[in-house]
Amino acid sequence: MERSAIFEKLNDIFCDVLDLDEVTLDEATSADDIDEWDSLSHIQLIVAIEKGFGIKFSSKEIITWKNVGQMVDSIAAKL
Amino acid sequence: MALIAVPMYTALMHNRARYQNVWLLLASYVFYGYADWRTLPLLAVTTVVYYALGIGIDRANKAGAARRASWLTAAGVVLGVGVLFYFKYLGFCVRQFAELFSQFGLDTSGATFAIVVPVGISFFTFKLISYVIEVNRETLAATRRLDEFALYVAFFPTIMSGPIDRPGQFLPQLKQPRRADATAIADGAKRVLWGWFAKVCIADRLMPYTDAVINNPEHHNGASITLAAVLYLIQMYADFAGYSDMAIGTAQMLGLRVAENFKRPFFARNIAEYWQRWHITLTTWLTDYVFMPLNIKFRSLGMTGLYLATMINLLLIGMWHGPNWTYALFGIYHGVLLCVTTALDRPRKKWEKRHGLRQAQWYAWLRRLLTFVLCCWGALLFRSNSIGDFALMTGKMISEWGPLYTQGTTPIFSLGLLSILILAGKEYNDEMNKGVHLLHNRSRVIRLTTVTLLVAFIVFTGVLEGATFIYFQF
Repeated sequence: MERSAIFEKLNDIFCDVLDLDEVTLDEATSADDIDEWDSLSHIQLIVAIEKGFGIKFSSKEIITWKNVGQMVDSIAAKL
Repeated sequence: MALIAVPMYTALMHNRARYQNVWLLLASYVFYGYADWRTLPLLAVTTVVYYALGIGIDRANKAGAARRASWLTAAGVVLGVGVLFYFKYLGFCVRQFAELFSQFGLDTSGATFAIVVPVGISFFTFKLISYVIEVNRETLAATRRLDEFALYVAFFPTIMSGPIDRPGQFLPQLKQPRRADATAIADGAKRVLWGWFAKVCIADRLMPYTDAVINNPEHHNGASITLAAVLYLIQMYADFAGYSDMAIGTAQMLGLRVAENFKRPFFARNIAEYWQRWHITLTTWLTDYVFMPLNIKFRSLGMTGLYLATMINLLLIGMWHGPNWTYALFGIYHGVLLCVTTALDRPRKKWEKRHGLRQAQWYAWLRRLLTFVLCCWGALLFRSNSIGDFALMTGKMISEWGPLYTQGTTPIFSLGLLSILILAGKEYNDEMNKGVHLLHNRSRVIRLTTVTLLVAFIVFTGVLEGATFIYFQF
């Protein structure tokens, strides 16, 4: 899957889980940039992403993500 | 200690960072040894072991041996928790088992167990554990400098009672020489002064009242107990935040930044926010190393997983204070409050939006008051000598009211309350950004006058007969 396609799919998942009308994620987007993205919704996002892409992250991966770019790196490595 | 260390250290400023680090390390070991020399070897040995573990984990990660790195990290975590358990909790467990067996008629008189609890053990073991976890997560490179690592562990302003610094924030500061900076020294000294005020004018002033009531619940009515619960929460805050201010201020004078530990907790509008403002370095430590990993592990369980992780986290916060059933119940109490807050979060936000309450000041103050009341009851449980005492006091708070206990309490209700008002005024000003700055005013006259008045107030009204800090026992 192309990196841009992963971002598009992630945009949909974020809108769905965080109840947003529209969101445009980029490599540097982090929880600081989106009000609704707190520690509670973070876990819900992870579960939705795993389900949406049919993959499973390790705990260490999840803990060390600093931004959406690193999250996409992990997704791309598993597809 | 600060009086000797700071001037010598300043004299070493403009020199190499290494001289300053070694000097501070020596000062820290003398300070620790002065508190209790018997446990000094434990501090030194664990420091060397974790220093070596850090290098081992770093090498394993660089060689792509993730499994070896994980094993070494696990060894570090188990060792830290084991040391903490042995010194702090084993005696309690032995006593509990002895009591249980004696109920079945077994002779357990030989099962008494006396262990010296090393000073600050709950604080420095947490620093050691976070170091190996961060190195394993590759968010921090293992340091090769034993003197820097040992100083991170033993840094004298924080070893007794925190704040629990993170290696990623503290260690890099030791690479650069610290230069004498008049503003930093003055600001640090003011921070120490403010901490001293909170300690001797509030915490130590209120202590006789809370001690008298909570240690003798059978002699007091619900009114006195309710007042003692409110005063104890304020006392604990003034004591611990006061100590934290003194530690942060001392570090500031030495040119080092230490993590903040409190952020005006009594302005929190719910329990979740309260824990983001109270003993911040402990709660963020547990959030990063216990709550988030558990939350991630339990993610397939949905909200149940979140509640489970919350309860375990808060139970650990309670038990961290020591082996006592009141601390465990305190953790459970706050865990339940947090779960309820989480469960009500979304419905509450929708309800507030519908009724236009988001910006309403009266509503925000009502929420602050409710949070404060819940925390007062929690503080009473925390301070109770037993769960039985807590139950007795709670019963009296509901059913047995009468005149307040006021014997010999004139200074508490005059000087104590005046000091609380001063503290509350400062916190209100800071929280609401009212822009009144007395200690940090642009005008030198106002700055000096404020400092002078504060010193005079402390000297004339403070309780200066050297009481210890509440958090030293943890």
